[in-house]
Amino acid sequence: MNEAQVLISTRILARRRLSVAGAKLAPAPRRRRRTRGFVQVASSTAAERLHLSSFGHAYLGLGAVLIAVLFYLGLAAQITQSSYDIARLQDQQRQLLAEQDQLRYQEVTLHAPAQVQQQAAQSGMQRIVPSGYVSGQPVAIDLTAPVGAVAGDVTPLWARAVAAVINTVGGTRDVLAASK
Amino acid sequence: MERVGSTRLRVLSMVLVALCLAGLVWSRLAYWQVARHGQLGMQAQAQYREVVDLPAIRGAIFDRNLTQLVVNTTVYSAFVSPDQVPAAWRQRVTSALVSVLGADQTTVTTILASPAKFAYISPRRFAKDKADRLTALKLPGVGLEPETQRSYLPGTSSATTLASNLLGFVNYNGDGQYGLEAYYQKALAGTPGYISSYRDLANREIVLGSHTHQDPVNGSDLVLSLDANIQYAAEQALADGVKKYNAESGSVLIMDPTTGGIIASADYPSYNANDFAHTDTALFKDNVSSYVYEPGSVMKVATLAGAINSGAITPGTVINDPGYLNVGGYRIYDWDRKNHGNITYTYVLQDSLNVGAMKAMQAEGHDAFYSYLQGFGLTKPSGIDVAGETTVPPPPAASMADAQYATASFGQGIDVNMVQMLAAVNVIANGGKYAPPHVVDRVGTAINPLLLQPQRQVISPSAAAQMTTMMENVVQHGSGFTSRVKGFELDQTGKTGTSQIPVNGQYTQDVWASFVGFLPAQHPKFTMLVVVRKPHAAGSGSDWTLNDGYITAGPIWQKIAQAMVVDWHITPDPR
Repeated sequence: MNEAQVLISTRILARRRLSVAGAKLAPAPRRRRRTRGFVQVASSTAAERLHLSSFGHAYLGLGAVLIAVLFYLGLAAQITQSSYDIARLQDQQRQLLAEQDQLRYQEVTLHAPAQVQQQAAQSGMQRIVPSGYVSGQPVAIDLTAPVGAVAGDVTPLWARAVAAVINTVGGTRDVLAASK
Repeated sequence: MERVGSTRLRVLSMVLVALCLAGLVWSRLAYWQVARHGQLGMQAQAQYREVVDLPAIRGAIFDRNLTQLVVNTTVYSAFVSPDQVPAAWRQRVTSALVSVLGADQTTVTTILASPAKFAYISPRRFAKDKADRLTALKLPGVGLEPETQRSYLPGTSSATTLASNLLGFVNYNGDGQYGLEAYYQKALAGTPGYISSYRDLANREIVLGSHTHQDPVNGSDLVLSLDANIQYAAEQALADGVKKYNAESGSVLIMDPTTGGIIASADYPSYNANDFAHTDTALFKDNVSSYVYEPGSVMKVATLAGAINSGAITPGTVINDPGYLNVGGYRIYDWDRKNHGNITYTYVLQDSLNVGAMKAMQAEGHDAFYSYLQGFGLTKPSGIDVAGETTVPPPPAASMADAQYATASFGQGIDVNMVQMLAAVNVIANGGKYAPPHVVDRVGTAINPLLLQPQRQVISPSAAAQMTTMMENVVQHGSGFTSRVKGFELDQTGKTGTSQIPVNGQYTQDVWASFVGFLPAQHPKFTMLVVVRKPHAAGSGSDWTLNDGYITAGPIWQKIAQAMVVDWHITPDPR
């Protein structure tokens, strides 16, 4: 038996005990704690200090209500104003989108084949029909073939020796430049 | 005691009267508050509550290179409330509407003098600059209503827009009409939303008030297999050709051989989709898919290909062609009525001989011929995704007479639309497989399911290859010489077609002239069909064969193919 089960079983038992015992015992009277609200405290304090009569109380209450109403009206007016601003901005957005659509159409039209041809014609360009095509032969390269060993240098030894001497004496020269 | 009684009576009667009066008032209040509650509540709501539609943005249409073919633009319509225009302002309002919008002065004057509450001012749907000018004038009783309009790309002339017959247009109610706009209306249109909000006394919207709203679902974009540049080249060449040969009309259809995607679809005459309201409705029809014609000798490609595939003939099989054949009590002639003696089927196609086509059909038999017609898709609609495809299927195989089979073998007495015919010839270009023709590759992000389906094998690749060689021969040695593209003379295929147009059961001298072919022959990049209706070429009054497909349709095919070769960088296959 683990701890959780122990606890559960204990709790059930305790509840049972309580329910049995509770039936015999008279319920204890609940003590209600009376708390006074801030407004009540403040108004009573103010009334005590100002020595207000019952009419004074009424006026004070009415004033508070009036302030609340004015606050509400101010808030509502602010919301309504914001609402108008949003509506105006939405309208502005619609206008801008309309302009954007118009610009997009202009852009698309600029790239339209008709427009391109017209512009080309105005610039003096014209499409030339090719006079012929060169028929090629399939290139015989097997791309899948293994690479193989690097070819060795087949230059004769005497030529290599001559080249070494010339290079040493006259310095190396650019072969491509020399051929020109 | 008596006085007391009378006083009581008086009080009682006064109370009764008061009760009656109060009862009257209460009953009236009850009538308004209970019996009429629903109606009055609705009236009150109508005054301060407004439901505004939130339109869905219609999907755009792009070509294969993602060039936008259609753009949504905002235009404006002006309206007046004549009862809101003071008499002193009428003249000024009239002159403003006339000068800014170009409205008819008499019409505007009549509207303003009428007791109407609302009237649109014609012309409607003008651009924002005019709307701004009108707004700046602050005319009483004049309002502007923004509307969305589809704007299409310019075509070969100011009277046309690009691919107008294929795309269709969208009417003032936002409904697609004709072509793709109609076929894909649901996908393009999306689902509109709404917003229900409060309005103040000045009819200004109170956005932050309690309101309900449903967001719109915008329409899906379409990506087509179309190429805008090729489309333009096709329209231009077609317009030039139809004018040159003084024809009634013409059409061009170009297809991707491997996928069946339409690369270009042109009609002439065409129309300006941006100004559909002032267009003759007869021009709206797409003659590519909604017009049936007798294909003539182009049909011989399907006839001979079927016969080769069934093993009934080979390209080298020799037959005797005396220039005519008697079938079902009719004598049917070759186009030249000459005795050609012993010839091969390659020569039959090259010289477009009807007798050869009939003999090929007879060699394979009626049933096989009919089943190949079905296989090539010539007995049912092609299913292309544009609105209004029209077909006239042939009668059932059993009820076709011998003469009907005979004429059908060379493309007379059988009706097809251009899509059906091109898809059939495309079987040859596609190694014997039927590629379902379609215009749209993608709807939104979804690929057209047609592209994912396996293609139907109609004839063997070997039969297709043999037919390709025969069609190459047509260009090199036969009637297809007018279609030769520089550099591709040995690497292109073609077949001419000329069929007389029947009127009231009688064939007339007017013809449908056509040319079909693909290029390069061994690895085709496109298949193209050109049809010219009722051409009247120079000199055809005395010699009507001058209207034949090789003279009228062939050069148009050549011009478009030349443009495609350059634009798509197509090179001939190495030899």
